[in-house]
Amino acid sequence: VRAQLRAAACLLLAAGTSAVARAAGSTQLDVSTLLYGEQDRARIVEPIFRITRILPSGHSLSAQVGLDVMTGASPTGALPSGQVQTTTSASGQVRTFAAGDVPMHNFEDKRVSVDAEWLKQFSIVTPAVTGHYSDEKDYRSVGTSVKFSIDLMQRLTTITVGAGINDDDVFPVGGVPPALSTPGAPAVATTVEKRVTSGLVGVSRVLSRRWMMSLNASRSEEEGYLTEPYKVVSLVVPAPVIPGDDEPEAEDDDGGGSAGFIPTGEVTERRPERRARNSALASSVYHFTEDVLYLSYRFYWDDWDIRSHTADLRYRHELGSSHVEPHLRYYTQDAASFYTSGIPDGGPLPAYASSDMRLGSLRSATLGLAYGFHVGRTPGEWTLRGEYIRQFGDRGSGDDDDDDDDGGAGALPVVNIATLVVAYSIQF
Amino acid sequence: LNPVPPESTAASRDEGGTPFVERVDDHYAGRFTAMASPCDVLVDTDDREEASTALRLACTEARRIEAKFSRYREDSVVGAIHRTSGQPVAVDEETARLLDYADTCWRMSDGLFDITSGVLRRVWKFDGGEQVPSAAAIHALLGSIGWQQVEWHDRRLTLPAGMEIDLGGIGKEYAVDRSAACVREVVRAPFLLNFGGDLFAEAPRRGGKPWGVGVDDPERTGEAALYRIDLSHGGLATSGDARRYVRWRGKRLGHILNPKTGWPVEDAPRSISVLAPTCLEAGTLATLAYLQGPRARAFLEDLGVPFRLA
Repeated sequence: VRAQLRAAACLLLAAGTSAVARAAGSTQLDVSTLLYGEQDRARIVEPIFRITRILPSGHSLSAQVGLDVMTGASPTGALPSGQVQTTTSASGQVRTFAAGDVPMHNFEDKRVSVDAEWLKQFSIVTPAVTGHYSDEKDYRSVGTSVKFSIDLMQRLTTITVGAGINDDDVFPVGGVPPALSTPGAPAVATTVEKRVTSGLVGVSRVLSRRWMMSLNASRSEEEGYLTEPYKVVSLVVPAPVIPGDDEPEAEDDDGGGSAGFIPTGEVTERRPERRARNSALASSVYHFTEDVLYLSYRFYWDDWDIRSHTADLRYRHELGSSHVEPHLRYYTQDAASFYTSGIPDGGPLPAYASSDMRLGSLRSATLGLAYGFHVGRTPGEWTLRGEYIRQFGDRGSGDDDDDDDDGGAGALPVVNIATLVVAYSIQF
Repeated sequence: LNPVPPESTAASRDEGGTPFVERVDDHYAGRFTAMASPCDVLVDTDDREEASTALRLACTEARRIEAKFSRYREDSVVGAIHRTSGQPVAVDEETARLLDYADTCWRMSDGLFDITSGVLRRVWKFDGGEQVPSAAAIHALLGSIGWQQVEWHDRRLTLPAGMEIDLGGIGKEYAVDRSAACVREVVRAPFLLNFGGDLFAEAPRRGGKPWGVGVDDPERTGEAALYRIDLSHGGLATSGDARRYVRWRGKRLGHILNPKTGWPVEDAPRSISVLAPTCLEAGTLATLAYLQGPRARAFLEDLGVPFRLA
């Protein structure tokens, strides 16, 4: 009887997949919009649409389409000047700056990106393959990656290994400018390339019923055109040391960085053609009865001599069918070896130079809050996430001028950034 | 009978909408209602999303099976079969496999397990009262019972007019196994499904310990457990007279009816729990054992399956 029943049960249960297919498959839809604003600088609106389909066979397919609409202004890298100054921009516009303002170029761009991922869980190994494509006015990126997650010790330990490659094309408006030369010089090329290869290894381990830790290390190697085509570096001469000079009042906010120098001109920047980036990340997830604490620390270093530390803390507090999640992050970075606020005019040009603030030493602090909730009995979950980021560059003297002057475009050292994400997620 | 895992006292509310999971000690639990039973999904994970996925998959599949095979629904396959008035009807593959399984059970049990015996419910009310139908009322229905009267081959079913089929005796167990198969496809954490007392455990809990399942005391249902069964892998089902019975001459008669007599099985154990690789087998074996009445223990011992009696 038992064997007969076993056989009958197997017959009934084994092949039921066709009938179950519709039910077992599930679809998740995530729609979100990011609003990003730097005070007086860039504005980004980024709607993202993501659909994930889990097939009953265990395959999971997801596709994401994103659109970034970027407008605003970005520092060119040139120093504020006592004179009226003009720069050209990506879109060919010309902008004239008042004395003391940080030279900016206006930009307006749209970026469309498409990402797709396939993964399938086998007994202990889950391979995942992703593809990426993005396109904007002066940049195109195509990439792919493969990742394997391997579960060991009754799934208490998971090991992850992965590798990826990106092939990018850079085709600046007006062509690729010659490096370290006067802006506006004839272009040397229309399109240049950039290749990024990357690899990662990670291990995550369940330490107790409540606590999980993971360690991840990654390395990526960039090769090709890594320079920012629209950024420039000021040429400077020492300022004459004359008490009562009219300059200090014109740029009271920038006393530390450029007080001792007067910009006399500018050249396009140049960065090395290679960059090896490394990072190590330790993260911990601790579950209280309901709430969850996330802690992570990331150390990053590259062969441009940038070192950075990121500490991140999030705490998810459950409120029945909703939750709140405060978020704190602190970031600090050393400058790249070739970062400079200005090149002495008349002297020999260095091999590499950039005044891009993102390569300078900087610190940033983030304060954020997310609120996840359901609207009545409607399906799906809504999330609102707001973050305020205060970024301190070290180009100015820093602390003495970050209280009120940052309101003007001239405030390089402090940037206030606010982001708001509205997201909706539903499964059916 | 409704075994309730003692470790999950607070399963999630199901108010007809999307069920959601709740943290219960060191795991997540969610509850929904399907097949007129509370259905619990326990997932031993710290990942709420994973638990939600398990709950959603199980709920979707259970409700699909309920909608497809419920005898109470006009638009179900069973409803359609009942409207054929004795004409042959072709059924889909899944229905065919269920009927094949029922056919096997009927043959194995010498006709004691019969999906056409549901018509007896018209006269039997297992509401805890003391009303039993008259012998004449039962006799009138016996002619409409008997799988041997049904023609079933080549996926074509001919059900004589006046007869009914009821897949309730295997449907819930089938739903447990099918739901487990759906959840297994995407959820990696150990999970346990309990659909109104029919259970399936995918894997032992984290750390290797089994799920603790308390089996209801029929006399004090919902208040006390008769015994505890440790379930690590596979199906567990219980037959008994815990919730649906009538009292007759001082005896408690459970709702499982002998299709040959039209009368509840007498002198069976109050509760029979059977462990098997699948919930379907566990449920069928528990029912078959119960149908043996006083010989239930001997029947199970002969089979050599793990079981508990009370």
